[in-house]
Amino acid sequence: MNRSLILMLIPYGCGALLLVLLPALLIFALAFTTYDGLAAPQWVGDQTFQDVRFDPVFPIAVHNTLIFVGVSLPLRVLLALGLALLLERRRRGVRFYRAAIYTPTVIPDVAYALIWLWILNPLYGPLTLALRAIGIDPPAWLVQPETALLTLVAVGLFQIGESFVVLLVGLHNIPLEYHEQAKLDGGGVWQRFRYITLPLLFPWLLLITVRDLLLLTQQSFVPAYLMTGGGPYYATTTLPMLIYAEAFDRLRFGHGAAMLLLQSLVIAVLVLVGVGLARLILWGRSV
Amino acid sequence: MSRTRHRSPTDWGWQLVAGGLALLFGLPLYWLFTSSLRPAGSPPPRTVEWFPHAATLTNYQRIFALAPFGHYLLNSLIVASLAVPLTLLTASLAGFAMARAPVPIQRSLLLFSVTLLLIPTAALWLPRYILFARLGLLDTWLPLLAPTLMGSNALYVLLFYWSFRRISPELFDAARLEGSSTFGLWWRIGMPLVRPTSLVVLILSFLAYWNDFLTPFLYLKSESRYLLPVGISLLHQMDTTQFPLLLAGAVIMTLPALVLFWAVQHTFWYEGRFSELAHTDEV
Repeated sequence: MNRSLILMLIPYGCGALLLVLLPALLIFALAFTTYDGLAAPQWVGDQTFQDVRFDPVFPIAVHNTLIFVGVSLPLRVLLALGLALLLERRRRGVRFYRAAIYTPTVIPDVAYALIWLWILNPLYGPLTLALRAIGIDPPAWLVQPETALLTLVAVGLFQIGESFVVLLVGLHNIPLEYHEQAKLDGGGVWQRFRYITLPLLFPWLLLITVRDLLLLTQQSFVPAYLMTGGGPYYATTTLPMLIYAEAFDRLRFGHGAAMLLLQSLVIAVLVLVGVGLARLILWGRSV
Repeated sequence: MSRTRHRSPTDWGWQLVAGGLALLFGLPLYWLFTSSLRPAGSPPPRTVEWFPHAATLTNYQRIFALAPFGHYLLNSLIVASLAVPLTLLTASLAGFAMARAPVPIQRSLLLFSVTLLLIPTAALWLPRYILFARLGLLDTWLPLLAPTLMGSNALYVLLFYWSFRRISPELFDAARLEGSSTFGLWWRIGMPLVRPTSLVVLILSFLAYWNDFLTPFLYLKSESRYLLPVGISLLHQMDTTQFPLLLAGAVIMTLPALVLFWAVQHTFWYEGRFSELAHTDEV
């Protein structure tokens, strides 16, 4: 390998080392210290984890995070799948419809949060007024503890453009001959979906599911921070919100790192279990 | 194939469903635009209002009169116009080197890049914050621009890698015989041939930097360095009759992203090899 090629890779390698690998390792070290951001970190063993265990907000944040991810993930995957199936084929206007579906995904987070704060305002928001006009008395979406978290989930459902595009590519990669042949053999719409589309789309579905699983936890931060501030009564305090508060409001970076470490481990385990299950299903089917 | 050309009932049904969904996904944006036209200071609506009565564009003037807004906008433009070219440079260089490297090295670099993709970097803000604090870089734009060093996103590097790999090696060998350096191969042979990829990376990275709230929010302290997303989120503690003014700001922030996306959206719908034969009207 010549020297110029190595030179070309240096920024990438150094950047990845300094901005991803080093910070990732630093989490492990920080999680066993107390650190206020000023004085030198103090090694305290697993004291931080003991403290986290008795932090009254921690179980609430874990619960909220599990609900946020657990409800969002299947809905997002199913919605992207449904939309991709509907808008797969070439028809009049299909590109316009696809672009319309993708559009909410490119709206900046802050603008998106402001739009929804306006739309969902319990007194004069357009959605509230529209529902009243047809005789439904809507809940106070973001202001009520019972509905706040699920409202954040619903708002996020409009931003599924990336999964939608990935599934479209997946669908277009299924050879048409398979469908033609199945039709000749008398396969109905459902049978063709069940025995051709679904198995061949499976790797693509797995891809978007794993991606959402990796990203959704952190993605709960910005909407929760901007739209509810974690409230009302901690109803939308997810783990990233709690970690942020731990670090910046209470200056306990070590405790924040301990929570971040726990969060990352749980996500990693979930991804591994998910991929393992997927391989099991794939093996089962190919025999 | 012998199907008649005129619309069948199922086609009309399809148009209805697809059109309805497109409207639903367009609704937030519609409400954003129309509500930003409400005269600031007017009482909030009491009934459904599909278009504001005394619609006006004055909010778009007044938001700039709120002194720092123009300043935030300028800051955002400066950061994006630094970050995007830097990203294109580092990502294309890394992608090129990967594509030209010997196969075993190529494989390990590929594995390395995919591993990077699997790390949710947004979750790394806490240790990154401590690193930048230790380096004395807080409250500068350097933490914001630092990811450009690694091509901003391993995905961009991989996109360039795949594109450069599709160029036939004979082209490079010929240029090499004519005395071209490796950097010359990248710039004169490689880059002109991967323009579509550069365009995609340009747009994705612009959107990423332009839309990002978290990074500037975490690392910037002085108001004079704020970017648009942080600036607008600060203005949002205004009273409700001023909300349309804020929405005008949101429109201004959204427009560049929207225009860019709609200008290039046709490249998103790559339909594979069989698209021309794709069933047009059948179910």
